[in-house]
Amino acid sequence: MTERAAGPIVEVRGVYKTFRRAGRWPWSRGAEVRAVRGVSFVVQPGEVVALVGQSGSGKTTLARCVLGLEPITSGAIELEGRAWHDLSEAARRPLRARYQYVPQDALSALDPQQTALEHVVESMIVLGGLARSQAGLEAMEMLDRLGLAHRSGALPREMSGGEQRRVTLARVFALRPRLVVADEPTSGLDPDRQGAVLHDLITNLPDGSGCLLVTHDMPQARRWCHRALVMLEGEVVEAIPLPDGQPSHPYARMLFDPWGQHDLDQSTVS
Amino acid sequence: MSDIPLLVLEELCLRVPQRVLVEGVSIVVRKGRITAVVGASGSGKTLSARAAMGIIDPGLGLVRGSLRYPGVRSGELFSGVEGSGRLGRWRLQRRTRPFRGGYVTYAPQSASSALNPGRTVGRQLQLAIRRRLDRPDDEGREIRRILDEVGLPPGASAALPRELSGGMAQRAALAIAIAPEPQILIADEPETGLDPVLRRVVTELMLEVASHHRVGLMLITHNHDTVERIADEIVSVGEGA
Repeated sequence: MTERAAGPIVEVRGVYKTFRRAGRWPWSRGAEVRAVRGVSFVVQPGEVVALVGQSGSGKTTLARCVLGLEPITSGAIELEGRAWHDLSEAARRPLRARYQYVPQDALSALDPQQTALEHVVESMIVLGGLARSQAGLEAMEMLDRLGLAHRSGALPREMSGGEQRRVTLARVFALRPRLVVADEPTSGLDPDRQGAVLHDLITNLPDGSGCLLVTHDMPQARRWCHRALVMLEGEVVEAIPLPDGQPSHPYARMLFDPWGQHDLDQSTVS
Repeated sequence: MSDIPLLVLEELCLRVPQRVLVEGVSIVVRKGRITAVVGASGSGKTLSARAAMGIIDPGLGLVRGSLRYPGVRSGELFSGVEGSGRLGRWRLQRRTRPFRGGYVTYAPQSASSALNPGRTVGRQLQLAIRRRLDRPDDEGREIRRILDEVGLPPGASAALPRELSGGMAQRAALAIAIAPEPQILIADEPETGLDPVLRRVVTELMLEVASHHRVGLMLITHNHDTVERIADEIVSVGEGA
């Protein structure tokens, strides 16, 4: 695979995403939902960007659009200089290993009949194009790095929530991706484990790769991310440099300091 | 008079043959007060809360402890090892059934899966209201009042659960739990998965339910921030287990 010149890993320009929600009857028109409205941003190599905002503000939709898991309505998304939104699925497929997704619900993303090791080996063979013998060795190494070597033979249901997340991370990092999009990788874990999973996510990112992290946890975002994009009703209303930047938009201020003095009516629009 | 105990669960032990799940947990819920139940994932918080409603999962081998609802019934609902075994479980379930959904209600952890997917929020609220009033005249107004209380727009009444965002579903589940005007509300991690602003909204709603409606609240959570701000009593589950 040819290495591209060092440019941004992700470049999103004026992206809109509109859904049509099914109506009550098959013939009724249904409502239009504008999930993402004119969003632009860039993720540079080595940068971790947090996508924060209200529930239902379009964070997950935007994250999925970046990877091409959802088609966009208009705008442009470039990954390492390639017009990703324009490529056919066949053209994207050989590149998929470079751009990886960590889902919100680890258990539903794992095959209930495969062990931890088999998950990692399979993704290395199918997406990474490795031979089985080599994949086995490297997969074991990756599980070891994430502290899962002793659980390599465990099935998803035998693992704790934190261990399940680590398997999804091992599967992603084994491919040495250039971009990792993580959608609330810590939701549902207790606070101690949330920190540990984020630590594993950020410290294991391959050198020079970018990360887009959807999160609700502002203290952790401050700790690990270089920048936070605050989304409200499908738009990015502010980009805050982290760890020290202070939010100025009223909604962003509320997110970063929920217990301060605010007019809460501004927050519960949807 | 805000110290009246409404629910007293004492020395609860739950075991499966190989393992102790819950050991020596005592929870008291008082009128107008918030009792926070904290502990790591898998420490038995939810199991203890279900036991406090008289629901013992069939897989559990040994159950010990005692449960009383002093507000409505003198005497114990179960005590000693009575709650274990198929017969004990059946007896306990039968005794507590009249209180569930009226005297004590439960807002489960995963709100979106707890709502009936085929019924609108309004209809589900209507059924919850009818637990205390048989066909009130101004049912529509009552539904709108409860929706407003949890911060949902009146339009949410016509929505099906799948049309709600996570935060809205969470609040809809809460609305259904408070609609029968219970004496005790057991809320199982109501702020999980919400953004920080909604977390504050839901936390303040809990406080409102306890202080304004004089409901005894058992709040299961692992959010230290919430506990520090609103809990009157804190019960730690699973320490050292």
